[in-house]
Amino acid sequence: MAGHQQFVYLCGIAGLPAPSPALEVLAGTGWEVVVPDLPGFDGRAGFQPPDDYLGWLTVVWDALDATGALPCPVVGASVGGMLAADLAALRPEAVSALALLAPFGIFDETHPGLDLYALPATERMAHLFAKDVPEPFVDRFGHLGPDEGPVARYICDVAAASLVWPLGDRGNARRVHRLPGPTLLLWGDQDELLPIAVSARWTEAAGVPVEIVAGAGHLLEWDAPEEVATRLAEFLAGD
Amino acid sequence: MDTRSWSRPTLSPVKLLWFHLMPYPELPDDFNKKHRSVWVDIDPGLFDPDVMADCYERYSDQLVHAEECGFDGICVNEHHGNGYGLMPSPNVMASVLATRTSRVAITVLGNSVALYNPPVRVAEEMAMLDLLSRGRLISGFPVGTSMDTAYAYSVNPGTLRARYHEAIELIMKAWSATEAFPFNGRFTQMRYVNVLPRPLQKPHPPIWIPGGGSVETWDYCSTNDFVYAALSYYGHLMAKETVSGYWRRVEANGKDPNPYRLAFLQFIGVGDTDEEAYRLYKEPAEYFFNRSLHVYPGYADPPGYVTEASARARYRSQVRTVARAKQAKHDLTWDEMVEKGYVVIGSPDTVRETLTDVARTFNCGHLLTMLQFGNMSDELTRYNTELFGDKVAPGLRGLFADAEDHWWPANARAA
Repeated sequence: MAGHQQFVYLCGIAGLPAPSPALEVLAGTGWEVVVPDLPGFDGRAGFQPPDDYLGWLTVVWDALDATGALPCPVVGASVGGMLAADLAALRPEAVSALALLAPFGIFDETHPGLDLYALPATERMAHLFAKDVPEPFVDRFGHLGPDEGPVARYICDVAAASLVWPLGDRGNARRVHRLPGPTLLLWGDQDELLPIAVSARWTEAAGVPVEIVAGAGHLLEWDAPEEVATRLAEFLAGD
Repeated sequence: MDTRSWSRPTLSPVKLLWFHLMPYPELPDDFNKKHRSVWVDIDPGLFDPDVMADCYERYSDQLVHAEECGFDGICVNEHHGNGYGLMPSPNVMASVLATRTSRVAITVLGNSVALYNPPVRVAEEMAMLDLLSRGRLISGFPVGTSMDTAYAYSVNPGTLRARYHEAIELIMKAWSATEAFPFNGRFTQMRYVNVLPRPLQKPHPPIWIPGGGSVETWDYCSTNDFVYAALSYYGHLMAKETVSGYWRRVEANGKDPNPYRLAFLQFIGVGDTDEEAYRLYKEPAEYFFNRSLHVYPGYADPPGYVTEASARARYRSQVRTVARAKQAKHDLTWDEMVEKGYVVIGSPDTVRETLTDVARTFNCGHLLTMLQFGNMSDELTRYNTELFGDKVAPGLRGLFADAEDHWWPANARAA
């Protein structure tokens, strides 16, 4: 690795209440992690979901372009993986390498997985992880206090839910053949939302093999930070 | 045929409407123990089509019977994948009722317009119903519950309300436009909007908006001069906060406190005596509240279904949280249902006194009576309806006789 190294990270379905340990490992090895300010995921008041997925791509690309980081490697987790895959498929010049961590975007009727938003809100976080819910997710936005914290959590969930409602399939299977460069596909074998079998649909459509992370749930970089960081570091080093 | 506009009203006393949910009456005794939810993913194997065919016949007869008993209007509504409300298309049932009745308002408290694309289909069917009923239609436009919209019909809750408002805008314009027009909405684009037939009532049938208690809906109703129909199943005591909140927004929006701006739903059981009513309505009430209202809590809170303002208010409201928690346990006793006002029961005098107080306190000119609920038999339903019509309704007729109902169909007539 030489010179200034950076990659963009697009967060998962529960937002990014704190830097993930995996990203911190990478930051410790000299990578600058650029996290764009995605509308709604920050819990800020006044958020209105875009009318449709094209609207989402527009606001996400605006946020990405505002960072000034592109072109560079892009890492996307969960819903962020879906957005990252479309960025690479539709703006290939912007993405020098693509790492997808259990991305949404392709739904498999034979493996529907858990409908996160058909759970009471208080029960959702436990299903995103194979291990204990990491502390930052126990009380997301808790720093805003007992009145505004729950509202911010709600807004964050509105953003994520509007991206994936009702199935989390935005037709990515029909576009991922356009992925231009090197792609890494990681998947937790304990993913309740997107069962590991769904990864086969990505492999079929994109021609990318899946690398399984044992003992990890949907937000796998939180369940297995060292392993995910290692695989990301190796992949990014080859960019 | 009189085709006068409902916007030119006459003085009229309180309106009494008979509301039917059309429940499935044979859910098993252990339903709430062995099944997760009465809604969305309820086991279709529980439903016998022959039983439901009999129900449709019996229930539509009951609605016709309400006209014979002197009620001013009859009501149908819309639910999907629901074991206590088996009218996925209220318009189908309303078309039956429009031709089997001659006097009452046909009150369709569906359609959840955001579910239909293009929404002009709703404009067309409402116009047909207005013609079939010869100008007796009330057109209700609920947002729809989260169960119906976000889950049973998979509409994105984050854009549901924007779709809803746009759909109503399109329908209203389609009813009044003098020529075909293009519509370039955020969710619906049409080159040619030309709804035929048009409604008989001009400029359009009265618009009622069923709602649960959001500030946005109160403002939407009052600023657009639509009726707000408070449709909680939990009775008048629980509804006080909702109704007072609505009237505060009416005042804040500079509108008059006309009692006919409001409709309110109440479960009711009338007997010859208080004791008889207590005995008669226990079983159907327990069936409804403890068995068929068994809704999986996960379907109540899809992100985006309520606005940020309503979410903020909800997180600060202890009252509703407690009520929900209690209901979710399915352990309500009959005494609790009565005490909390979920069901108003008693002799004709008792019921009349309570409803008079409710109507006056709420300043409510449209009383929606739920006189069939749960697994109530046809015989008891008719008994309840007849007692109400004969002995309760006359005592309510003096209410609001000096007010003008701007929201009543042109050709609906009193008995």
